[in-house]
Amino acid sequence: MKKVKVGFISFAHMHAASYLLGMLKRDDVEVVGIADEDAERVRPYSVDRGIRYYADYNELLAEELDAVVICSENSRHAEITKHAAAAGKHVLCEKPLGLSESEMLEMIQVCKDNGVQLMTAFPCRYITSVRQAKEAIDAGQIGDILAMKGTNRGSMPGGWFIEREKSGGGAVLDHTVHVMDLMHWFTGSKAEEVYAHAETLFNDTEIDDAGMVHVKFANGVVAVLDPSWSRNRTFPTWGDVTLEIIGTKGVLNIDSFAQKNDVYSDVTGKAAWSFWGDDMDEGLVNSFVESIRDGKPVEITGEDGYYSARVAIAAYESASTKRTVQLKAQG
Amino acid sequence: MNIAILGCGTMGMAYAHNLAKMPGVTVTGVVDLNAERAEQAAALTGAKAYTDVDSLLEQKDLETVAVCLPTYLHKPFVLKLAEKGLHVICEKPAALTLEDAQEMKAACEKHGVRLFIGHVVRFFPNYQDAYRKAHSGHIGTPKMAHFKRYGSYPQGMDLWYNDPGKSGGVIMDLMIHDIDFACWLFGEVESVYASIVKRAEPEMEYAQLTLHFKNSSIASLTGYWGYPGPFTTQFEISGDQGIIRFDSNQVQSLDIKRVSAEAGDGAAVQVPASPSLHDPYYKEVLHFIECIRDGSEPLVSIKDACYAVQIAQAAEQSAQTGQPVTIGGTVL
Ligand SMILES: NC(=O)c1ccc[n+]([C@@H]2O[C@H](COP(=O)([O-])OP(=O)(O)OC[C@H]3O[C@@H](n4cnc5c(N)ncnc54)[C@H](O)[C@@H]3O)[C@@H](O)[C@H]2O)c1
Repeated sequence: MKKVKVGFISFAHMHAASYLLGMLKRDDVEVVGIADEDAERVRPYSVDRGIRYYADYNELLAEELDAVVICSENSRHAEITKHAAAAGKHVLCEKPLGLSESEMLEMIQVCKDNGVQLMTAFPCRYITSVRQAKEAIDAGQIGDILAMKGTNRGSMPGGWFIEREKSGGGAVLDHTVHVMDLMHWFTGSKAEEVYAHAETLFNDTEIDDAGMVHVKFANGVVAVLDPSWSRNRTFPTWGDVTLEIIGTKGVLNIDSFAQKNDVYSDVTGKAAWSFWGDDMDEGLVNSFVESIRDGKPVEITGEDGYYSARVAIAAYESASTKRTVQLKAQG
Repeated sequence: MNIAILGCGTMGMAYAHNLAKMPGVTVTGVVDLNAERAEQAAALTGAKAYTDVDSLLEQKDLETVAVCLPTYLHKPFVLKLAEKGLHVICEKPAALTLEDAQEMKAACEKHGVRLFIGHVVRFFPNYQDAYRKAHSGHIGTPKMAHFKRYGSYPQGMDLWYNDPGKSGGVIMDLMIHDIDFACWLFGEVESVYASIVKRAEPEMEYAQLTLHFKNSSIASLTGYWGYPGPFTTQFEISGDQGIIRFDSNQVQSLDIKRVSAEAGDGAAVQVPASPSLHDPYYKEVLHFIECIRDGSEPLVSIKDACYAVQIAQAAEQSAQTGQPVTIGGTVL
């Protein structure tokens, strides 16, 4: 069997670890190497597992690889993606795809020009309840979508996430994109107008950790989304992904992490939710690998990444102008 | 305390149930255009039934009137009662516009009578508990909140709820409960943004709104008339040191399932219920009556009620214009 040869570039975003574990479960994948400027950070994943370590990602790109997984700081997605594309590697890039409309459009173009695929890492598309919701909606079970309310709340991650030069934004950027992508996927339409608040409410940080994002879609659907890092230390889990969809014939609710046991532990000193549902990261990785292996189009494109990240970018503009922001229709 | 009930529909009957068993209170009259409804309320309370308010007003010892009329009738009847020197307990929303609500307030002040608006959510034990916890440092400083209030499409006499000119629609009628609670929690509103979805066949109205407060807090509210599920209320208040959550579908202290269930509950207007010695409506009216007796200030003032109407109007305006609406100036 011909294996798909994959390299990992940067573990700045720890999703890399779970994507790696997903890859390692497959016998049609060979993980060739891991590049990261911080050798210690990736030691448990690279050398300790017998996977080659590269201090410079360009050296990894010089290897014979089919694809790379990029989990760098947000500000480096564009640069690394373009290098990878130029080296002829397909790319799975962590969200948000980029920090400006122009840099994302360039990433997409460069991948096209080099004949490689660009997939945006939106693992929420592989939550089983989300997939079944999509099927139910497509089957017309709740009629036409009228309105949606989503939450993707979390905890303040710290580190580079709260350094603006590296992250490009706080909670509103970090947590708008996932559910925005689901909203695009479910409606088959595109966000056209954004009104938002971005605030620092919960933490002693410079960057926004709270917000509320209202969106109007081209097909008339209205939606609102809470992307705040509002989960406190004793909250029983790190966050949530919920989406309520009001249709002409019914209402559908997704509570992605509701499949949990309640755990009350004197050892950890707090109540906790122990999730036992399917692993979404594995679903994402499998989809990417299969697309590359079989030469099929990736399920979540660079355009998809662009369409949801630009909502977050517009949200900041709206929060500062206190007005609605119109998004340009793209080709 | 001699009290009369004006309007014997869903709310009027709820008042009748509660007032009939309230110590020290005598229901002396019940009024409804619909004689059958007035008779029903009379049977419950032992009061005299009337089909017009003027006959009621001939009663010499009447002190207070509970106004449970469709919202668009609140103002004319409250003005009339105030003029007669009667205290008024009026259902929410106070009126359909801030101007009307303020006129009611001014009239009651002028005639030296008390006016209370039934923002009953402030009397719900779950909301009260959340308010107290949020304001006693348990979750640090409250910063954000979500509120949800979903029910079937309300059935009023002659379909008055379906006419936005009479009920004000889902924001003014239903979501005003959470608007008032959010303002109680976070204070003055800086701006409001709202979207509304409305359809006929089957009739539904859904809205989502965001309140941005002067202290930077954010509240997200959704309300739904025509929800296909059970009457549902939810809230979450998140502070910088904790979170308080409630979901009406997860607090059943009593659950009975019967083998042959009869057709679903056909309440004309769904109101939340949870096993308790007295429902929140009882506690609310008792509180207002005590305020009348001892001259004390109520938990929810007419000023608060006017403010809630102002915010609901601003939300409606935002939904119409598609732009946020800033709340100008200070509260009256
Ligand atoms: N606090 C709450 O939870 C809550 C719940 C439901 C309704 N409400 C409010 O209570 C008020 C009444 O609502 P409802 O659902 O009981 O309405 P309803 O239609 O059930 O009852 C209104 C009654 O008033 C009577 N009426 C109308 N015009 C009259 C007149 N001129 N003279 C005498 N009687 C007249 C009607 O015949 C009817 O019986 C509204 O303002 C509504 O917003 C509050």
